[in-house]
Amino acid sequence: MTRNLCALVVAALALAGVATATTTGTPGVSSSTITIGSSGPLTGEAAAAAGVLKGADAYFKYVNSRGGVNGRKIEFKYLDDAYDPAQTVQNVRELIQQDNVFALFSVVGTNSNLAIRDFVNAAGVPQVFSAAGATTFGRDYAKYPWTIGYLPPYAEEGALYAKQILATSAKTAKIAVLYQSDDYGKDLLSGFRRGLGSKARSLIVQTVGYDPTTSDVQSQVAQLKASGANTLMIFAFGKFAIQSFVYANKLGWKPQIYVNDVASASSIMALDPAKTAEGSISILWGKDPATPKFKGDAGVALAGKIIKRYVPGGNPSDGFLVAGMAEAFSFVDALKAAGKNLTRKGLMTAVTHMNESSNPFLIPGVKVHTTPTFRYPISAVQLQRWHQGHWVPFGGVVSTKP
Amino acid sequence: MTNFLQQVVSGLASGGIYGSLALAIVIIHRSTGVINFAQGEMATLSAFVCWTLLDHGWSFWPAFAVTLVLSFAGGVAIQQVLIRPLQGSPLLGIVILTIGLLIAINGLTTWIWGGAAKQFAGPFSTSPINVDGVAFSKQDIGVIAVSVVVVVLVGLLFTRTKAGLGLRAAAVNPVEARLVGVRVAAMLAVGWGLAAALGAVAGVMAAPSLFLEPNMMQTVLLYSFAAAVLGGMDSPVGAVVGGLLLGVLLNLTGTYVHWIGGELRLATALAVILGVLLVRPAGLFGRTAVRRV
Repeated sequence: MTRNLCALVVAALALAGVATATTTGTPGVSSSTITIGSSGPLTGEAAAAAGVLKGADAYFKYVNSRGGVNGRKIEFKYLDDAYDPAQTVQNVRELIQQDNVFALFSVVGTNSNLAIRDFVNAAGVPQVFSAAGATTFGRDYAKYPWTIGYLPPYAEEGALYAKQILATSAKTAKIAVLYQSDDYGKDLLSGFRRGLGSKARSLIVQTVGYDPTTSDVQSQVAQLKASGANTLMIFAFGKFAIQSFVYANKLGWKPQIYVNDVASASSIMALDPAKTAEGSISILWGKDPATPKFKGDAGVALAGKIIKRYVPGGNPSDGFLVAGMAEAFSFVDALKAAGKNLTRKGLMTAVTHMNESSNPFLIPGVKVHTTPTFRYPISAVQLQRWHQGHWVPFGGVVSTKP
Repeated sequence: MTNFLQQVVSGLASGGIYGSLALAIVIIHRSTGVINFAQGEMATLSAFVCWTLLDHGWSFWPAFAVTLVLSFAGGVAIQQVLIRPLQGSPLLGIVILTIGLLIAINGLTTWIWGGAAKQFAGPFSTSPINVDGVAFSKQDIGVIAVSVVVVVLVGLLFTRTKAGLGLRAAAVNPVEARLVGVRVAAMLAVGWGLAAALGAVAGVMAAPSLFLEPNMMQTVLLYSFAAAVLGGMDSPVGAVVGGLLLGVLLNLTGTYVHWIGGELRLATALAVILGVLLVRPAGLFGRTAVRRV
């Protein structure tokens, strides 16, 4: 009797083994679909960045309408985390454990990506082309092989502004810095300090941080003005960047302003008082449809067509949408390179061997280039200056390679 | 010295906003006994209503007046539909309900208006006025002036009118109030309507400087609780004074206490709540409840 029972158990286990074997394959990939997931601030103070996910989604729909990638359609599921890393963790667990996604693509925000990095690396799920620029995403690949960012590293962006100040106003600049007090703002600040080098001590007269859960940065801006600075670095995000311009205006302060990339979308800048915003300097790497220079550009025209078709109510001059498309374009390239026999390992190989110069949503001269030991997909940018209600790129394309 | 004065002035400007929402919290507490966690979201919703009217080409003051009326009606409706069935059940249930209301209203505003920050053109100019190096704007003065006017009106209502007496009676002792002919149910509804309208004032005054988005008042609500506790939970004057004091206190500690900096503002506000509750639970202007046994 006991022996029979044992045999039964063995047989059951064997059957179970067979049963799982038939469904084994790459998670999230079927013969006709690839399911990928993401999380980002669809609501809350950083909701402007939701455009990245909507733009990417629109581009995937466009690719699907033209037959998909290697015969498979891309299904992109993205969830709202309101820029709260704790919520991102919930969302990503749901995406991996319930929806069984093949990969995470373009999760938005430095803190959100940091919050999920250990978990997704332990699970062996690709965390690809994160919409975050903290240097760690490109640097620490030995510890986190499944993670790769996309944006130019924030520290290098900070260093670039430092270089610009040293080149134009090294003798006269008195610099005040407003920074978001987390890995995002601090990365920009540390790169900026490094870029100023030995001059950092004498040129920076005041730095003030803010907690991203605060209601406003009025007190911080007043404090920076009181430092007597004539140059203001805004290393902030979303509404806090807008508030900085508004409060500087309210205080009657007219410094030379530098505002970091992800806070400087034309749609955000347009909300600022013209007097204060005029002459502000930032960087660009993706084509901003609101920039007159790109009027009539083929990439911007394609983006406009896709937005009209696949983003209901979308603003065709929203730079976040186009940035999302740029990421999606690179992701589709990587999927193509990973081949018909798609695996998670294959995707990681593809994203670390990028050599893409055809991305129509990136400015001329900016290429997506990676190797297994160089994981900064975008590593070149151009400076731009806000003039009479829009951005004007100036100077050549410069490297932001760490 | 200029920086000190500037921080005080900016603190008063922020504090005016905390105070006006604290006022709404105090009114609802005083006239119904409830702590309303949804007060901030109700204020945001009202501000969105006002924004929509402005967006349709209305001029400010008519839009503001209509918003107040709609908010009052909305507050009464919330009380009638959601709070009334729970009346008489433990207070905790109603408080939990207001937390649910917070989440629901936040979802509603996001669903209707989207999450992106919107510019809100207020009634007062934001161009700077410079007095001896200290800059402020008509908007800052306007926000504080409006809070003061509102607190005077509310004070008159509570102390000089029969309706005000009824409101207080209904909250303090509903059974005996009913026995002497106060329409308790109506009074509770009016209390909610009044608080919603005051919240609308706070939301509309805050929106030009904070930028309008669904989470606009969430942090402000925490500051407002601190302001209300500081001033005394049942004192309208205390709420506004508490708000102004808190705004200045947060700015000065943020500027001059180095380890607090810009990052620990919220923690400082919570420390104020704790400190007041430990040292003077009734707040600066509140009356200590005394019961004869």
